[in-house]
Amino acid sequence: MNKFHLLQFRALLKREMLEHRNLFIVAPVILAGLVLLFSVWAMTRMGQDLISVGIEYMALLFNGLSPLEMAPIFMFLAIPFIGVFYLCAIIYLMNSLYQDRQELSILFWQSMPVSNLNTVLSKLVTIGIVAPLFYIATMFVLYVIAMLWLTILGWSYDIEVAGLGYMFLAAVASLIFVYLSIITTTLWLLPTIGWVILFSAFAKRTPIMWAIGVFILVGFLEEFIFGTQFLGNFVESRSTPTQYLILDFQDVVERLINYDMLFGILVGSILLAGAVYMRRFID
Amino acid sequence: MSNIVEARALTKTYGSLKALDGVDLTIPTGAISGLIGPNGAGKTTALKALIGLCDVEGELNVAGMDPRTARHKLMEDVCFIADVGILPKWFKVSQLIDYVAGVHPKFDRIKTEKFLSTTDIPANKRIKELSKGMVTQLHLAVVMAIDVKLLILDEPTLGLDIIYRKEFYDRLLNDYYDGDRTIVISTHQVEEVEALLTHLIFINKGKIALSAMMTELADIYTEVVVDPEQIAQADALNPIHIRELLGKKSYTFESVPRAQLQPLGEMYTPSVADLFVAKMKDSRHE
Repeated sequence: MNKFHLLQFRALLKREMLEHRNLFIVAPVILAGLVLLFSVWAMTRMGQDLISVGIEYMALLFNGLSPLEMAPIFMFLAIPFIGVFYLCAIIYLMNSLYQDRQELSILFWQSMPVSNLNTVLSKLVTIGIVAPLFYIATMFVLYVIAMLWLTILGWSYDIEVAGLGYMFLAAVASLIFVYLSIITTTLWLLPTIGWVILFSAFAKRTPIMWAIGVFILVGFLEEFIFGTQFLGNFVESRSTPTQYLILDFQDVVERLINYDMLFGILVGSILLAGAVYMRRFID
Repeated sequence: MSNIVEARALTKTYGSLKALDGVDLTIPTGAISGLIGPNGAGKTTALKALIGLCDVEGELNVAGMDPRTARHKLMEDVCFIADVGILPKWFKVSQLIDYVAGVHPKFDRIKTEKFLSTTDIPANKRIKELSKGMVTQLHLAVVMAIDVKLLILDEPTLGLDIIYRKEFYDRLLNDYYDGDRTIVISTHQVEEVEALLTHLIFINKGKIALSAMMTELADIYTEVVVDPEQIAQADALNPIHIRELLGKKSYTFESVPRAQLQPLGEMYTPSVADLFVAKMKDSRHE
């Protein structure tokens, strides 16, 4: 891969973020705004005494913990963002190779010297690496605002906010864990992602209905013909949220290097190859 | 003269419909080739096949490549404009230019910006906010700044008013065509492109009805306004089309020597529009 191909891939990623800016840029900003509004509203309802107790309790909770030890606690704050991200990711994947076929702009995209493989890979990299960065960046800004706010509250109520620097480091560490969790989750869920993109590449309409409908049908046929539930078990084995979380840097290696992960990546890659194949011709 | 497009026995079916039915096609390098046919004749299918967007049977070679297996590589040497609606509507004009600059190694951004400076198209507008004519201008501005061997235009001026249509073809001829590049224009509006063409292809019901250089047409086709007393002789020469003309009958002949036709009446070289009608209603095939 030469320099031009890298620049070309960057242009593809930029296209994805521009086209889906509502999902990956506007949505987290709105969510952050709502969180801030809710926090301000909650603070005004709590009053000085309750706020003082809260800050002291927080200091007690984190007392003696290193930022890395505190980080998993902060990850709970990211749950709304992770939830919204995955909701947006599902919408994105459903439309990834479908929307341009619907609006006929595929004729423009396919008139450019971009391979279908790179097009599909750009979708994957967007969902697994680039788009989460925007969510993480928004959360980072939110944490900075929260820290400033706590500092100002401390000054105005004359309360000592202990360990604020440590808390900020913990918040930043939690964002790194969230980001790593999303990357490993993308790989872990590669079969699901590949399945949805595959149907997005050729369904004439409502790719999600095709993706779910065919899955149910194949699962039913498997049980009816072979008396097994491999498909159902395969999905169930990958559907526990705690499987996805990275709470420690050592978790990364464990999550990535294991038979189940590699098997999933293989299955997902085959499905993505199918999407590349289906993308070849537009009719 | 070499050929930039060579196709043999191209076939494409949609269910029971044969969109392309054993098409043999050659397009000479440097030609401005008109692919003319009525609606549903197979023009768009043929053009999509040329750029690898449609799975066809048969042999196909475009700019030395098979579009079915090397589309993205081929598109470095081929540009394509379909009708006016295909640019992504959510792009801003400037973002479109950035994108093409990012993905196309033969794109010259300065040329596009220079072209756009002669139009009313603002760089910060989204494409969905532009008129149809502006979108076509924009697409042309982008495509004309890409140094390719073959430009394929599929009904590029469909739905545009006469001013935009005229400007489109003027720009294409004066600012883009250099004699080395090949342009293929598909349309069913024959009169609009007749003056531009150096090569002519008629397609009907998925089959090539005619493929010839414009300079060859006068040697092959003759229209004769036949004197009433010569009607029987004219009928005997197997005309491809007969039409009423101001109370007389006008016959179109294919590959009949002019010396043989001279006694029948006044002779002309048929216009492309008349030839198109004649070939579409070829009396020998009805």
